[in-house]
Amino acid sequence: MTGSVFELKNVRVTFRTNAIEARSLKYSLASWLGRKPRTSYAALSGVTMSVAPGERLGVIGRNGAGKSTLLRVLARVIVPQHGHVAVDTARRIVPLLDLGVGFHPDLSGAENCVLAGSLLGLSPARITARLDDIVRFAGIDGFIHEPVKHYSSGMYARLAFALAFDVEPDVLLIDEVFGVGDEFFMDKCRARVQALSSGGVTSVFVSHNLDFLQAECNRLVWLDRGRLVMDGEPAVVAGNYRERRGVFED
Amino acid sequence: MDSTSIRFTWLYAKSELRLKYRYTALGVLWNLLEPLLYLAILSVVFSYVNKMRLSDFAVFLFSGLVPWRYFEKVVSTCTDAFVQGDWLLKRSPASPLSLPLARWIVASVEFGFSFAAVALVLAFMKEHWTVHLLVLPLAVLPWSVAALGAGLCCATLFTFFRDIRPVVQLGLMFAFFTAPILFNPDLFPPESMQARLLVWHPLTHLAALFQKPIHAERWPDAMDWALSSGTAVAALTLGSLSVLWARTRLYFYL
Repeated sequence: MTGSVFELKNVRVTFRTNAIEARSLKYSLASWLGRKPRTSYAALSGVTMSVAPGERLGVIGRNGAGKSTLLRVLARVIVPQHGHVAVDTARRIVPLLDLGVGFHPDLSGAENCVLAGSLLGLSPARITARLDDIVRFAGIDGFIHEPVKHYSSGMYARLAFALAFDVEPDVLLIDEVFGVGDEFFMDKCRARVQALSSGGVTSVFVSHNLDFLQAECNRLVWLDRGRLVMDGEPAVVAGNYRERRGVFED
Repeated sequence: MDSTSIRFTWLYAKSELRLKYRYTALGVLWNLLEPLLYLAILSVVFSYVNKMRLSDFAVFLFSGLVPWRYFEKVVSTCTDAFVQGDWLLKRSPASPLSLPLARWIVASVEFGFSFAAVALVLAFMKEHWTVHLLVLPLAVLPWSVAALGAGLCCATLFTFFRDIRPVVQLGLMFAFFTAPILFNPDLFPPESMQARLLVWHPLTHLAALFQKPIHAERWPDAMDWALSSGTAVAALTLGSLSVLWARTRLYFYL
């Protein structure tokens, strides 16, 4: 790794199709006898890129372009079948691939902060000491000792955001999670992200909100059908993306 | 496993234990009541079938049944650990080992409660307390390691072959009914085919680690230690290798 946070070389991630049918004995036998081809599709294909420390990278593309798969590769949730991925694990990487990862519906908000916080690398003592701040940021005072299954979806999202932002990450990976919660809370979250970014935190955002990405990122990459088709200045990439309506033709 | 995954495993196991009895009226008392009631029912029924004195049979049954139930619980709860854990494995880089390990911890804690509860009652039924009982903490180890190893194997297999669950359940049932847990192996003459087959049953030697000190009031043989430890190490090695192989593939099968 030449000082990069992430370095991807010729990464390819494939998923098998016919996921339901392929589990049956009949299909397996037919496939084994060569009567049914094993089909798959590439969610990422030949992706080569790197992310430097402090960079604010936005990932754009139409539905199914491979954006979330790319983020999961960076978060080390998916190990690609082909290619090479190097991650600077000395940095604290916080993946926000989904809200409330590690939350158990029957546990209270406070108990979930301890459990999910441990996934983000925080000790129970640290979470307990910071709980008042987390509750204040989430704005769910009075409900923190209730099971989260009784929370509204907005309250759930607020707690998840508040916990994730309390981690003080070196690298933040965010997958289209700004669409939940009320407008005022989302403004608060964006302000926190901006503060983190200006503080030197490396960020990778996946979003369909081009305005947000243009405002927050200093680099955009455009994925189309698993391939990285454009990488550069946010205004240039976003302009091309809009002009071609998200479909890149060679 | 890194320190984050180890900490998560421990906290997750604690949460599971806490939640298990959270909405029950008797709470953790079930940890004591459930094994006692189970043992009481089996003792009454099978002391009649085996034509043994109730108190003597209860001691024999306890010595084999309590570790067996621990083993069975670990294997059956670990089987769907990866499949049920897609909420974690598809969204965070946590080690997949966290999920079966947490279930193993939960079962181990419950085993401790069961053992203490039933031992307390049997204190009144057992005529002699001998020095051989001191070996019991050591006797738990091969059971625990074998259970974890078998659990890891089943968790991996179930992820890729969902048909495996009934096979696992039938396998456990077969192992239980063919092992000298419900019946005393001394029922068979030493030269009989049944006695010779029982020597090769892995559970015979694992069960002997508890049955000999508790019921027969003697030390387990060197053969018991060697075969049960060998079974445990082999199971754990196989289980660990299967998870190592599956680690990068799990995402695509959940």
